[in-house]
Amino acid sequence: MKKSYIIGILAIIAAIVIFMSASGDVSTYGNFTDANSTGKVKVSGTLDLEKELYYDPNVDPNYFSFYMIDNLGDSKKVILTKPKPQDFELSEQVVVTGSMNEDAFVASEVLTKCPSKYKDEEILLKADS
Amino acid sequence: MEELIYTGEHLLPGKIGHFLLLLGFVSILFSAFSYFKSTKSEDKQWISLGRFGFLLHGIGIFGVIAMLFYVMGNQMYEYYYAFEHVSDDLPMRYIVSAFWEGQEGSFLLWSVWHVILGAIVIYNGGKWESRVIFTLLLIQAFILSMILGLHIGFGEYIYKIGSNPTLLLRDTMQAPIFNNAEYLSLITGTGLNPLLQNYWMTIHPPVLFLGFASTSLPFAYAVAALWSKSYHDVLGPMLKWGLFSGAFLGIGILMGGAWAYEALSFGGYWAWDPVENMSLVPWLILIAGIHTNVIAKSTGFSIRSTLIFYLLTFVLIVYSTFLTRSGILGETSAHAFTEMGLEWQLVAFVLFFLLLGMILLAINNKTIPSKPKEESIYSREFWMFIGAIVLFFSGAIIATSSSLPVFNKIITYFNPEYVGRVITEPIPHYNKYQIWVSVFITILSGATLFFRYRADKWSASNRNRFLVAFGVCILLASLLTYLMSFWISYFEYRYAILSWSCVFGMLMAIWYFFTEGKANLKLAASAFSHFGFAIMVLGTVTSGLNTRIVSKNPFAMQGLVKDESMSKVVTLLKGVPLYVNDYWLTYERDSVEGRFRYFDVKFEKFKDSVLVESFSLQPNVQYDNKFKKVAASNPDTKHYWNRDIFTNIASLPRSQMDVELAKELEESLEYVSYTPSLGDTIFTSSKYGVIKNVVINPSKTDSFNLGVGLEIEFKSLDSEEVYTVMPSVALKENMIYEMPEVINPFNLKINVQDTFFESIFTNDADLDYVKYVVKENEPFIFKNFELKLNGFKKEVENPNYSEVENDIAVSADVSVRINNEDVSMDPVYIIRDNKPFSIKDYHANSGLHIRFQHIDPGTQSYTFMVAVDKRNFKAIPMEIAEEVPRSDLIIFEAKEFPGINLFWYGSISMMLGFLFALIRRYSQN
Repeated sequence: MKKSYIIGILAIIAAIVIFMSASGDVSTYGNFTDANSTGKVKVSGTLDLEKELYYDPNVDPNYFSFYMIDNLGDSKKVILTKPKPQDFELSEQVVVTGSMNEDAFVASEVLTKCPSKYKDEEILLKADS
Repeated sequence: MEELIYTGEHLLPGKIGHFLLLLGFVSILFSAFSYFKSTKSEDKQWISLGRFGFLLHGIGIFGVIAMLFYVMGNQMYEYYYAFEHVSDDLPMRYIVSAFWEGQEGSFLLWSVWHVILGAIVIYNGGKWESRVIFTLLLIQAFILSMILGLHIGFGEYIYKIGSNPTLLLRDTMQAPIFNNAEYLSLITGTGLNPLLQNYWMTIHPPVLFLGFASTSLPFAYAVAALWSKSYHDVLGPMLKWGLFSGAFLGIGILMGGAWAYEALSFGGYWAWDPVENMSLVPWLILIAGIHTNVIAKSTGFSIRSTLIFYLLTFVLIVYSTFLTRSGILGETSAHAFTEMGLEWQLVAFVLFFLLLGMILLAINNKTIPSKPKEESIYSREFWMFIGAIVLFFSGAIIATSSSLPVFNKIITYFNPEYVGRVITEPIPHYNKYQIWVSVFITILSGATLFFRYRADKWSASNRNRFLVAFGVCILLASLLTYLMSFWISYFEYRYAILSWSCVFGMLMAIWYFFTEGKANLKLAASAFSHFGFAIMVLGTVTSGLNTRIVSKNPFAMQGLVKDESMSKVVTLLKGVPLYVNDYWLTYERDSVEGRFRYFDVKFEKFKDSVLVESFSLQPNVQYDNKFKKVAASNPDTKHYWNRDIFTNIASLPRSQMDVELAKELEESLEYVSYTPSLGDTIFTSSKYGVIKNVVINPSKTDSFNLGVGLEIEFKSLDSEEVYTVMPSVALKENMIYEMPEVINPFNLKINVQDTFFESIFTNDADLDYVKYVVKENEPFIFKNFELKLNGFKKEVENPNYSEVENDIAVSADVSVRINNEDVSMDPVYIIRDNKPFSIKDYHANSGLHIRFQHIDPGTQSYTFMVAVDKRNFKAIPMEIAEEVPRSDLIIFEAKEFPGINLFWYGSISMMLGFLFALIRRYSQN
């Protein structure tokens, strides 16, 4: 057999293996019901501003907790093991990565989507008034 | 409607700029047409015309850039590009950064490199000029169309092609402010994003865009080869440009990593961010192309793969441009530009060149020379080709994963119900594959060096040489990998294998260079670059995998998180040392310089109670352009030869982060009012304070006209600590300011209310003046003050007096004995417009007021009015808040990166490899 065929077949096998193994690495944004104590999930939702945001660096700088409403309307406590991100209160959308631990969702990562800080309109309106 | 005439606008630069932009675009068409003609005809006239068109094109591009710099440098905010990217307070050195902050500026930067590279091709001339420059102009046409700003109407719809940077602000947006003819005096620029205000932003984009632009040349040569169906002569120039591009794209990417590591707070040089990935992928494919190009040049194999790799490299560069600039990455990337509505134009850009490459390959497939015989497995070209395939695979995996948002978008287009997928944990996902790619590549890059081109089988001597090198390097690498395990941890077998393969590749490269290559600089290119690559990958294992959190308190048990591995930061109170992993940390002081606030943190290491190491680091936070909130946190790193200690301010107390938050916090405080008298003691729930003294003009009110402070000594009921504070009130320009004090360890905030000012300093109208008519040198007594008029001063020194023309002013020289101290006071008597006035002098400490009221020249007697403040030290109005959050702390992060220099030295060695290769290829001519 020609070597190029061997290489080609190996490449195809490698591609299939990679594709199979990678399909486990992707997920959709889930909700708190999907989350359990095994394996990490990404949950997307909005900040529940009715409930307390807690961060006290005097007690523990690696502990920030807040409540988040997932896309099913479920509000759960989320614990982030990092300092509180700046402007967190302003975020329109929050995506957390982590798993459930008892009653709280323990997140290792949090992504926030904030309204743009450099809005031209704001400045023009200010100048106008 | 009547046209408004706006004041202060400069319209000429915009008109010139717009003209130059159009010139730059139209000349592309002219030049490309001429070059196209020149490929069909022998007539040299067409080439000359093409060059002339290219010259005009260059003038247009350089001209637009000059115009934009002119309006930005002069802060002409009537131009939207200046308005959006500069501000009055932006230092001049950031004007260039501001220029390429925007999409338009960065497109111009990209295209200006094309002009310069194209000029080099034209200067060198040669038979490829027409076709290469034609292709380059085609690319330029797409890039320039992004900033053309044409509006084409089809019935109701208006299609916008590009965004024109020479437009006026009032033409790009509608706002009521433009109804005002004076609008220019009301606006100021938005300014450069504070995150981008550092020198990396000045150097990283031009290098990266040179890298981007240079990939167009191997592409253009590949197109030219297919177009002319002539494949052999092209390999030389193609390789030179491939190497050039590989070097600059590589440096550009590495600079991005260096920027992230040195100036950004995430603490690392690579984050598998989609934008980083999509600049890495074309580089990987380009490296594959360079290797197959070398094969093709030496053996005639792999011409087709070389063309494919080079065509693909450029298409991937355009694709990464699409990802960065279309906004499709959304929240998955930190790099995205602001959206400009150019998505479809960018899609057309990608598709055009993808299809162009594919069609050219398809129709010329038969004409591409290929060898009937396959490469022998004993030949260098065989293993190099395998390496190129692995690189291609690596790029394909990264590109596919990074394109997930694009796939989501496409599927949603056909199936709106579809829920987009994301990679749950990107870093492990990418690492999982790239570990094995790196293992393959490092082994191949070391071993392949020992193979010979076109070798069908091994000669006995070659085989022996190879086997010796191979055997020794395997053993040595195993030993070194084992020894390294005392320094760093591999955690799992995969990383042990990767480290081994890196050491193996490195040793093979060294061996090759000194034995096979005989330290000859001709062969230094592959030795240095392969050696560097192996070292670089090893650096990622040592520094990335073995990152050690320094800012972790091993004795802290009170943490709320049970899993100790989660804690990455510690809270440092000002002046209070804290023991963390190996070091005592002390946050010593903070200082403000411009928009930066620096925090000095001292590191001390003790061994058997002896101080063995001590140093300070100064991470800082950067406030935004209006000084209202923290915009960025900038790390500080201590570099050792074998490791780095990286520090960063992870967070600050709320009151220090943001003016708005500080205000909110202040409003949430619950103050309790007190009305103590001097000498009284006041009690809060757990502390008490003694009102010690009233201090006139304490030093903290130095910048005010007049101030008074209350010295209070605070103690706690349950500790020995004593804090003395001086809350004050002070006057400046008819406003009274309260200056509260905070005792952080007691969580107290103490404020004296503004009415205290009036109880110490009596209003002039409320004073009871006593009148004295005296002669010179005649003493007189007012209450417990002894006064005497000593004479008169020639110059009026009283600071309250400001001279008016034709004034007749006489300044008295009155000495006053106050508490056994002589004080000189100089009240002033003035005749202004035939009317008498008096300007009083005031002695703040004693509260004495003196007015010089009248002069009687006949009797030589002088009238003074004297009064003293009605000082009230009783019922001092003050308030105290308890449970005030501390503001004197930082949330501090410190990490150690072992062996990070392996990464940087490896990078440098790899880039030196490129340099040697370039020197060699250019000196061949």
